[in-house]
Amino acid sequence: MLNHILFNLIQVLVVMAFAPLASGVTSRLKEMIQSKRGPSIYQPYRDLWKLFHKDEIVSEDSSWIFRFTPYMVFVTPIFVTLLIPVLTNYPLFFAFMGDMIGGGFILALGGFFATLAAIDTANPYGPVGASRTRMVGFLAEPVFMIVFFTVSFVAGSTIPYIVQEKWVTPLANFFLPSHVLLVLAFLMLILAEGGRIPVDNPTGHFELAMIDESKSLEYSGRGFALMKWGGQMKFFVLLCIFLNVLVTPWGLARDQTLSAVLLAIPLVLFKIFCFLLVLVVIESSLSKLRLFRIAEFLGAAFITSVAAMIAQVFQP
Amino acid sequence: MSILLVLLLPLIATVLVCLPFKKAWAAGVTVVASLATLILSARVAWLVSAGDSVTSDLSIGWLKWIAVDGLSALILVLIAFVATTAAIFSVGYMAHGNLKPGKLRLYYINYNLFVFSMLAIPVLAEPTLVWIVVELTTLCSALLVSFENTREALEAAWKYVVLSLMGAGMALFGFLVLFAAMQASGSTGAYTWSGLIDAAPMMPPVLLQTAFLLILIGLGTKVGLVPMHTWLPDAHSQAPSPVCALLSGIETTSILYVILRLFPVMQGAPNSHAETWAVVLGLISVGTAALLLLQVKDYKRMFAFSTVEHMGIILTAVGLGASVAGYGAMQQIVSHCVTKSFCFFAAGTVLLTVGTRQIASVRGLIRQSPIAGAALVFGGLAIAGAPPMAVFLSEFSILKAGLMQRHYVATGLLAIFIVIAFFGIMLHVNRMVFGARENESAAELPDNHSETGNKLHLPSSCRLALALAAVPVLVLGFYIPKPLHDLLTQAAAALTK
Amino acid sequence: MSDTTNQLLENLNALVAGLFLLTGFGIVAMRQARGVLHLFIAQALLLAASAVLLGLRYTSEHLYGVALVNIVSKAIIVPWLLRKTSPSEVYTRREVDQVLNIPTALLIALALAILAYFLGLPILNAVAPEFRSLNVPIGIAGLLLGAFTLTVRREAVPLLIGLLAMENGAFLCGIAIARNLPLLVELAIATDGLIIVFIMGVLTRAVQKQIGTTAVGELASLKEATVEPAETEVAK
Repeated sequence: MLNHILFNLIQVLVVMAFAPLASGVTSRLKEMIQSKRGPSIYQPYRDLWKLFHKDEIVSEDSSWIFRFTPYMVFVTPIFVTLLIPVLTNYPLFFAFMGDMIGGGFILALGGFFATLAAIDTANPYGPVGASRTRMVGFLAEPVFMIVFFTVSFVAGSTIPYIVQEKWVTPLANFFLPSHVLLVLAFLMLILAEGGRIPVDNPTGHFELAMIDESKSLEYSGRGFALMKWGGQMKFFVLLCIFLNVLVTPWGLARDQTLSAVLLAIPLVLFKIFCFLLVLVVIESSLSKLRLFRIAEFLGAAFITSVAAMIAQVFQP
Repeated sequence: MSILLVLLLPLIATVLVCLPFKKAWAAGVTVVASLATLILSARVAWLVSAGDSVTSDLSIGWLKWIAVDGLSALILVLIAFVATTAAIFSVGYMAHGNLKPGKLRLYYINYNLFVFSMLAIPVLAEPTLVWIVVELTTLCSALLVSFENTREALEAAWKYVVLSLMGAGMALFGFLVLFAAMQASGSTGAYTWSGLIDAAPMMPPVLLQTAFLLILIGLGTKVGLVPMHTWLPDAHSQAPSPVCALLSGIETTSILYVILRLFPVMQGAPNSHAETWAVVLGLISVGTAALLLLQVKDYKRMFAFSTVEHMGIILTAVGLGASVAGYGAMQQIVSHCVTKSFCFFAAGTVLLTVGTRQIASVRGLIRQSPIAGAALVFGGLAIAGAPPMAVFLSEFSILKAGLMQRHYVATGLLAIFIVIAFFGIMLHVNRMVFGARENESAAELPDNHSETGNKLHLPSSCRLALALAAVPVLVLGFYIPKPLHDLLTQAAAALTK
Repeated sequence: MSDTTNQLLENLNALVAGLFLLTGFGIVAMRQARGVLHLFIAQALLLAASAVLLGLRYTSEHLYGVALVNIVSKAIIVPWLLRKTSPSEVYTRREVDQVLNIPTALLIALALAILAYFLGLPILNAVAPEFRSLNVPIGIAGLLLGAFTLTVRREAVPLLIGLLAMENGAFLCGIAIARNLPLLVELAIATDGLIIVFIMGVLTRAVQKQIGTTAVGELASLKEATVEPAETEVAK
């Protein structure tokens, strides 16, 4: 019991500590693939450190939402971390507080506040980004739903700890069409939700083309640091759900000992690193879609997820 | 062995046509080859009608998939007959356009390949192989339909190919399901038409019915049954007239033959509704075609719609009860085949004479060209089913059989539609041949006349083809020779279990 | 073979079928002609993979032959022939028109896939257990999606690929339920596919030469109503 609470806290710490690293590694890899040197992989930590020591400027016309949002954005991924398997393949203390759909709602709550805050300051670019994020969100929502429903259909549950076991017992289940197609669909969702390249360019500096970035344009100092860190954690959490729940539970701790949990940290980080490699290759080989083509991209994700569902239902 | 020769002849002709001799060479080879095919297949039919087996020496290897019974022999003879008359008609018809020798050679290559693929349909007994030759008929005739290379011809060819192949895809699936049904029945017989009939009672009815529907719809597309008929008037009107005669006269029938092959199989299965489907689809086709016939604007399209109508009549006749109406259906196949090919020859003659396909711009044809006018009237009367001609006799026997079977509603509807179609065709033919030109003054008429004067001289081969094709149309209306009667009886027997 | 291996082979086959369905959707919706062609090649390879897996599962060497015929004809010769016969202009254009917008087309395609399940259900129930597999409903879905492609596409090459995709769908179902079809028949069907490509390629070329476009869907002059000539109005 007590060690479960401890492991849960370790999970939260791991997510908080390594989320900026994942972002740093991604940008470094991307630069390397373009034959540049790129910034150090620790640059995100330095950025955060710097921002925490700067003054914060808040527009006097903005409401409490603007001030409240950074905390919301920062806290929601931490809540989700409590629910999902980051390091262990057995449920921890808070695991049964919510299922995958609950986790999705919590993440969406953070996104909702970020959207409100973007409109709140009356910066002209804020609402543009906010409405675009909503558009992507609306289109991604049904895909999320179908993915979750298919998962629950296959595994008989939406609790992530139960789902992850289903894909590897027996091992042949790994090749179930529903599994592989769900992984594909969710990968597309991560690209869309994480603001990755065929949908959004995370490194772009052109306000008119921004989707995700423009929402935090008005923030500075500590608020901006929290927004940034929160965003990185959200992406990290999505990666954990994808890799640990949907792809495989391999590399997670099976024993209820501290050493096993600590050993799981490098293994999980290695898994994430491998995935980031794939992500960088995808990002570098595609070009950003026009805004109205995003619907088609997410349509493809939707079709894939429904195909997963169909393949599951049709299996004689 | 003669049955193999029947298949080989068009192929040999194809090779010979490729040789770069003078223009007359290709035409001559084709005429001779199809005449030889006709004689050989007539001999096959003679043997079959006398009850001899023509395939006993073919039991080795893949040749075991060749089988000929009364129904196949009937279709075989009809194909060879139309191929011969159309080849003769082509000689004169294709000469008028001053085509380049290469282009003409291409025509005859495709022509012979097309004839070959059609001849293979009744001869093969393995359903999937039959499916393949059905595909081949589409592909070999596609370039014939688009032969004139105009915008309309290309459109027609494209529609024809796409829709036919789409139907063929469905039919392929149907044949695969049929194979699965055969496997599920536990029968050890070969996958042939006769093997299917033997295995039918043990087949799972669901599979059999699925297969039947898929094949009916899939191949029905190519036959021109109504919801799937949209390509037919286009393709059958845009192709050169001799090709139209082949397409309309015999290609549709030979595809319908494949569907007919399934009826005895379906009768073996408990409560299959094959007959009901046939009657419904057939009546819809006849009705729609009859109504469309009233408002056509193009006389080649008119004959094409009449093909849709006749395919519907044959299917309805088979559906009305294969045992009784079967003979009528077979008779209808024969009479439609000879009459429709004649009609398209007549249409081709008219086209040569006036140079337009529009009904509205042809008036007073009888004064312009007595032969073309007379041929058109004769063809129109014959295809519409006027009394002393072949179609009348066969339609009459179908209606009689329908009444005897007490299918009053279906028979009544069929009769009404036939009458409507009769009026539709005669209305247009009458106007074209005897109608006066309302909008042109008398002064213009001779001018027009002299303008087309050089076209008035019909090539003698066209006249010969018209005469040859007219003989059975007229004769079969009075009298059916004994061998043909035996053949028809046998063919009708092949429709029942 | 052991149960685990069999289970694995069945799951892999199901996976291949699932991916096959995905390529079917892709052929309906993909914009570029080149992309459609690539999807078609992928589909043919998946079909071959399914044949190999089923061959391994039910120890039927015959299916390896089917796989080989498929790879050679559809993944190698058909693309080559397509590039040879149809005008290259088709491939260079990036955006190709469709009759319906893409999301609508995809939704209808989805409905068709679900319909395919209900069509396949009676067949699945009627055949012996060893013939039951995901291939049947997905094969039917492939058939329907191919037919649907024919109705939403205007360009010659995607239309042609829709036709071939129909055949692929029929075959995916066929290798599951009609496994012992003579190889000669398979060969003949494959050859037939090649003739289809050749003839339609020639037609496409002729259309492009005559009309200047390969958007054959725009050919729609042959109708009952439009044939009406101007003279009749004068006459009446």
